[in-house]
Amino acid sequence: MLAPKNRRFRLGRVLWKYRYLYLLLLPGFIWYLVYRYLPMYGLIIAFKDFNFMKGIWGSAWVGWKHFEFLFSYPDFYRIVRNTLLLNIYELLFAFPMPLILALLLNELRNMLFKRTIQTVVYFPHFLSWVVFGGIIIQLLSPNDGLVNQIRELFGLTPIHFMAESSYFRTIVITSHILKETGWGAIIYLAALTSIDPEQYEAATIDGASRWQKLFHITLPGIRNTIILLFILKIGTMLDYGFEQIYILYNPTVYDVGDVLSTYIYRIGLQGAQFSLTTAIGFFQSFIGLVLIYTANRIARRFSDVSIW
Amino acid sequence: MTKRFNLGSLSIGTVLTVFAILTFVPFYYVIMVSVSDPKMVQEGKLILWPRGFSLYTYELIISNAQFITAFTNTILRTTLGVLINLALQLTFAYAISKQYLPGRRFFIVYIIITMLFNGGIIPTYLIVRETGLIDTIWALVIPTAISTWNVILLRSFFENVPASLEESAKIDGANDLIIFLRIYLPLSLASVATIGLFIAVMHWNTYMDAIIYINRQELQVLQTFLRDMVVQMEMAATLGDMSAVQETSSLSVRTAAIFLSVLPIVIVYPFLQKYFVKGVTLGAVKG
Repeated sequence: MLAPKNRRFRLGRVLWKYRYLYLLLLPGFIWYLVYRYLPMYGLIIAFKDFNFMKGIWGSAWVGWKHFEFLFSYPDFYRIVRNTLLLNIYELLFAFPMPLILALLLNELRNMLFKRTIQTVVYFPHFLSWVVFGGIIIQLLSPNDGLVNQIRELFGLTPIHFMAESSYFRTIVITSHILKETGWGAIIYLAALTSIDPEQYEAATIDGASRWQKLFHITLPGIRNTIILLFILKIGTMLDYGFEQIYILYNPTVYDVGDVLSTYIYRIGLQGAQFSLTTAIGFFQSFIGLVLIYTANRIARRFSDVSIW
Repeated sequence: MTKRFNLGSLSIGTVLTVFAILTFVPFYYVIMVSVSDPKMVQEGKLILWPRGFSLYTYELIISNAQFITAFTNTILRTTLGVLINLALQLTFAYAISKQYLPGRRFFIVYIIITMLFNGGIIPTYLIVRETGLIDTIWALVIPTAISTWNVILLRSFFENVPASLEESAKIDGANDLIIFLRIYLPLSLASVATIGLFIAVMHWNTYMDAIIYINRQELQVLQTFLRDMVVQMEMAATLGDMSAVQETSSLSVRTAAIFLSVLPIVIVYPFLQKYFVKGVTLGAVKG
């Protein structure tokens, strides 16, 4: 039951007592405000007709106009479908790879061999998508690419892989697997070290086979890590890496290659459709939030894993 | 029993070796092409090892003014980026690592929210524009100055430093600023170096911000320079007009440019590898 004046006095005293810590917080606090929270405020232009002269606040309100347009617009369904499909394929084919790699590495007893493999497979993660994607494009080039040169040795005609829509998704997922599987395995390897070796010894004495140990000790032991990574993946189902797509795609494969982020960049920034593409971005962020919230709820219900 | 066991180990070894070769082949191929005789490459000879060793392409790319500008800009953005990122992340992480700080929970929620929801490309672009960063080197440094993930990582590191150190320093009359600079920073040098290295790699490799925020030619970075080379090649291949390709973006020169741009990463890779397992583990346990 403090009087308002008293309370203000106390707040001032707290601020003064911890002044240096708050001083350390201040630059980061302002940064988050300007570069993370102001853009959220900027989302209101999805409900306006933005123009540069009037600015974010001054532009005229138009209500749900842009959203109504979007939902009747074939392009929108195409890019949502492309983004979703790539993510679904990634979930099916790329997501299990790091787990498999970690389980295989975990079976190795020869440490030198294990470390050599790790050194090699972690490396591509540290290459940029321009470099890695550029190399992939080169390998698949119709004129002097390695893959087509090998095809020609077998008397096959060269294929222009990068210009064929039917190959695009396979190329995206495969290049993702090659680049990121090694890196992704690290987190599983870390989780694997927390399993008590005595469990394996006891199982061996009981005559358990390699597969039995895998299903009864190893997988239950890293179950939480798998669930956690799965939730995080679900949260990004409407988000596909801009840098990867932007280097790999070209106008001939826009029909399957265009995802939300590349479309927003091309139509929004280059084509100056700020409000319309902000509406798309808003939709994307909102669905992402719903997805991660739902996945987390489900995970909490069936296990003790939660990301918050 | 023993025989089956060996068969299992053998197949595991084989699968892993094949996968390792597949991930390494692309990079190996680039190196081989870059040191081969450009004529052999142009004739479309299959290159699995250097054919007619030549470093001509490296001479060509090193004397290319655009490449030099891009390289310098990338070094500049990486240096500035590491310094600013570390300064902002360390100070913020230190403050929220103090359990007794009033409002601590608020500040943690304040940053976690930004991991779950964001304004997206266009609104962020408008704010970057409003703050006057477009077409300056700062556009590549300021908008990505804090990674919430790193802040959480550093916070849990600071939390693990024994509180007794801080308490005894306070008895000696040191204030929080001095404790942070004189006690916590020296103690965390290894972690700071690791995170600094990761920030450096991120800055070296990223190009989305350069594409969005930079239009001026003299501010191009290495990754956008490489992308332009690749795209020019792609267009030529699509149109079937290889004569449109200048000598400076022929396959040989491109591979040389790629290798040079990756060289700094190759140099720091052993250090990265030494530390990253620790970093990832820390994040996984404490995150």
